[in-house]
Amino acid sequence: MDKETQLIHELLDGELSPEERRDLLDRVNSAPLLKGEFDDLRSVVDMVESAERLAVPPEFTSQVMKRLPSPKVSFRKRVSSFFLGARVLRWNLASALAALCLVVIAAGAFFEMQKKGEIVSHRASLDKATRTVVISFYAPKAGKVSLAGDFNKWSIEKGLMKKESNGIWTLEIPLEPGTYHYMFVVNGEAWVTDPNAELSYDDGFGNKNSVLRVSL
Amino acid sequence: MQAEEYSLIEQCRGGNSEAYAILVERYQEMVYNVACRMIGDRDAAHDISQESFLSAYDGLKRFRSDSKFSTWLYRITVNKCRDYLRGRKPDVLLDEVSEILPSKAPDPQDLLYRKQLGQTLQTALGALPEDYREVIVLKHIGGLDYKEMESILGVSANALKVRTYRAREMLKKFLLEAGVSNG
Repeated sequence: MDKETQLIHELLDGELSPEERRDLLDRVNSAPLLKGEFDDLRSVVDMVESAERLAVPPEFTSQVMKRLPSPKVSFRKRVSSFFLGARVLRWNLASALAALCLVVIAAGAFFEMQKKGEIVSHRASLDKATRTVVISFYAPKAGKVSLAGDFNKWSIEKGLMKKESNGIWTLEIPLEPGTYHYMFVVNGEAWVTDPNAELSYDDGFGNKNSVLRVSL
Repeated sequence: MQAEEYSLIEQCRGGNSEAYAILVERYQEMVYNVACRMIGDRDAAHDISQESFLSAYDGLKRFRSDSKFSTWLYRITVNKCRDYLRGRKPDVLLDEVSEILPSKAPDPQDLLYRKQLGQTLQTALGALPEDYREVIVLKHIGGLDYKEMESILGVSANALKVRTYRAREMLKKFLLEAGVSNG
């Protein structure tokens, strides 16, 4: 390969300085044979780079996810399951009263949290026929709740949720299969990560986005 | 991006496989297109792409935080393509390139013409030696630089430059002989 041809390749790779590039193009334009070589190589590169990108079948991700091995249950999870797993208990009046006291205390804490406007639960369900995702969010004391995510360009106005009488806010949104990031915005200013999302991770700005995956 | 991907990988390692769906969706097009162009068979490319993601998931424990996930995934994909090609019949002959050459369309923007041109390119890629095809696909379909290609193929960047130049020359020769001229 001669020097000029090698320079043409380097130019196509963007590896020449502006001066080297200008010098080479001057020589190419004044020598028909060299110009022919340059045009042919450039059209080969253009042809490969502009070749049709093949679309991935829409069920590709779901198929991979179905084939992933089941996670091994760690020692910690086994211990957790031992303590938290369902089992039949024999009981007597004294232990039942003690349990009742605990329930009353927990309920008090629960309602206290609600008074402070904290979010206690949400629910997301998928209508597969219409691909409409229904997202619900429990925040009885909030005056306004929005769902902001990459599906509505993180707008706090487009995803206004509707309040039901039981304090649950809901929104139906049509979504194509894919992965979406979102957060709830309470009263137009407090960005809240969904505490019940299967997955959430740092957005790089100090918040944690929740992740919603819609499958076929 | 790298820190965010590493966070996803950490979640996968912790048993949250849902985090892996994000990585699959992010790289599936890249992996699928590389595999398609490497082996020229969509069904086989689909299987290879799936296997590549499964192998990558299986090997996440060994993944090092100073590596790029995409580079690592490319390496797995290229190795799977190589394994597949070793067990397959020899590559197409150059003569076959001209047989499927599209007739010159009056409008080069025409979708069908582009599709046929893509098929011609695929046949020409298939006529290249495997190591030449690899560099063309990684460089011009994957859009990688020579340093990344060095990590994937285990060959020095300088040697890969020379290989790419020769591969382009050969591809140019094939396409010219097949009647695909510039413009």
